[in-house]
Amino acid sequence: MEVLRIEGLTKIFGSGRLEVRALEDIHLTVSAGDLVALLGPSGSGKTTMLLCTSLILEPTQGKIVFDGETIYQKNGWAGVDIRRIRREKMGFIFQSHNLIPFLTARQNVLFPLSLVGIKGEAAEHRVRELLDYMEIGDRADYLPALLSGGEQQRVAIARALGNNPKLLLADEPTASLDTVRGKKVMEMLKKIAKENQSAVIVVTHDVRMIEGFDYVYQLKDGRLNQGN
Amino acid sequence: MDLAVYDLKLHKGRFIATIIGVGLLFTIVLAMNGLYRGNIYEGTAIIKATNPDLWVVERNGAGPFNESSTMPEFYHYSVKAIPGVEQASSFIFYTVERQIRGQSKHFSIVGYDVFAGLGGPQKIFQGRGIQQAHYEMVAHVKLGVRLGDKIPLGLHTFTVVGLTKEAVAPDGEALVYLSLPDAQEILYQKDNEEVRNQRARLLRTLSAQSYLSPSLSEKLAPRLQPDTHIINAILVRLQPGADRATVARLIESWLYFSVYTTEEEMQLTLKGRLASMTKQLLLFRILLLIISVVIVSLVIYTFTMEKIRSIAVMKLIGAPNRVIVRMVMEQSLLLTVSAFIFGLVLIQNTYHLFPKVILRVAGDDLITFIVALLGGILASLLGLWQALKTQPAMALGGQ
Repeated sequence: MEVLRIEGLTKIFGSGRLEVRALEDIHLTVSAGDLVALLGPSGSGKTTMLLCTSLILEPTQGKIVFDGETIYQKNGWAGVDIRRIRREKMGFIFQSHNLIPFLTARQNVLFPLSLVGIKGEAAEHRVRELLDYMEIGDRADYLPALLSGGEQQRVAIARALGNNPKLLLADEPTASLDTVRGKKVMEMLKKIAKENQSAVIVVTHDVRMIEGFDYVYQLKDGRLNQGN
Repeated sequence: MDLAVYDLKLHKGRFIATIIGVGLLFTIVLAMNGLYRGNIYEGTAIIKATNPDLWVVERNGAGPFNESSTMPEFYHYSVKAIPGVEQASSFIFYTVERQIRGQSKHFSIVGYDVFAGLGGPQKIFQGRGIQQAHYEMVAHVKLGVRLGDKIPLGLHTFTVVGLTKEAVAPDGEALVYLSLPDAQEILYQKDNEEVRNQRARLLRTLSAQSYLSPSLSEKLAPRLQPDTHIINAILVRLQPGADRATVARLIESWLYFSVYTTEEEMQLTLKGRLASMTKQLLLFRILLLIISVVIVSLVIYTFTMEKIRSIAVMKLIGAPNRVIVRMVMEQSLLLTVSAFIFGLVLIQNTYHLFPKVILRVAGDDLITFIVALLGGILASLLGLWQALKTQPAMALGGQ
């Protein structure tokens, strides 16, 4: 089932002599359960691509269809509550984990659930389930500062999965981890894609981490080429 | 999920330190509220306690408290003769600095007609009122004297026969009640050396007059000493049914004095000697409230800036603005309310230790709390502005 379709996506910053074409005529389709890697060197447009896909940055041209709903087309955002879409249907994993420092691991996972109206015992049960799934249940009441980098990343993944996202966007999820822990995180993302039927897009520059991915795309000078 | 409380728990040291700092500012604001009330209370206490129907003072003057007023003592007979006047008593009031029990004390003396009754202390807290024409005194407990104490004032020693807690002088210092002649003597009676010098000066002046013989000059000199039968006001009690305005008009037009009711006398004091202090206190209160709001504002701004990346993450994962607004504003209000409670508890337990009267009024506390609360909301605006303009892209390392 198609989750995300991007057609002719172009993003231009500035104008005239200062014009920068960050993305140029991007076409991409991602279905449920797909594990997609976006590779590219610095300045290739990876972050811009991620910002447009996560509905934060408005493209200049093109069309974005998400979960059967047209989100962006030629005339701009299609009048939908994009923050609601992110809240209910997307999950995010960051390079630096970005856990909320004043909340414990349990509360960090609980927070997005509270935003979608899951509260009380149902929310607590879901949090326990997610933390156990990420094998971090025994650290539930620790503040992020007391967790290791790998543990923090697993809490961040648990947080991203709280709303059963249709699309999971991961921005350099292994960049701050050593190779062993990085590979473990990638294995988890593969497991999530297959078991949860979430579409997973991973932005990375580390080719060692993309073994077993369904699709690998290469971004170069704002253009997308399929790697394999 | 109460994000504001979780954040404050993590920074409880700084939160408590800020509560104490801002709380102390609120303590000063609340103290100044009380000082303002106390200033009015003390400033008008003697007027309210004396409470005659009319105050007769020097023509075109605003005496006897707001400015000096002098008039010959015998005029109280003339006032008493005005139709509608039941009683007219001489009244004298002045401030002195004397040694009391080995300490220099600043206080005010009220001289009144002990037997006519007007102008004396209304309620005696301990002991009795003055019953003799001379050498007895009633003092406010603030003076620090005890019943039976012998206090030298001027050329004589006075016995403390009564203590009062009722009225203080308009400047907040203790009042001492004396009989009118005693009060006049303390104010006007020179010591013997000064009397001799004055008499010699007068004799020289008279001797220089060619039309006076030396023997006549010597006879005249003692008679020409300055008059000490001077008073500051005449207190009037009206006959039942007498019209206050009519009596006042008669005194003003027949005797060329100014006449005020007790209410008018209070207004004169409020608009006169108390006005600048009252304005000053109001200004300090406003400034301190502004300073409190600025401090809370900066603290909340710092708190917000420290979690700006978390706010970006919240926005990225779809948190609506109201969640972020609630977090920032709740912290601001928690800080403001906690600091106010700290200030309230502190002033409630220390107001009696202040040298000036701090008159606590619940209504003032409530108004200050409402203003502080509005200030707390205002203080959160800077942090809110920063939070709301944060781009979710910041969480991804972009923009």
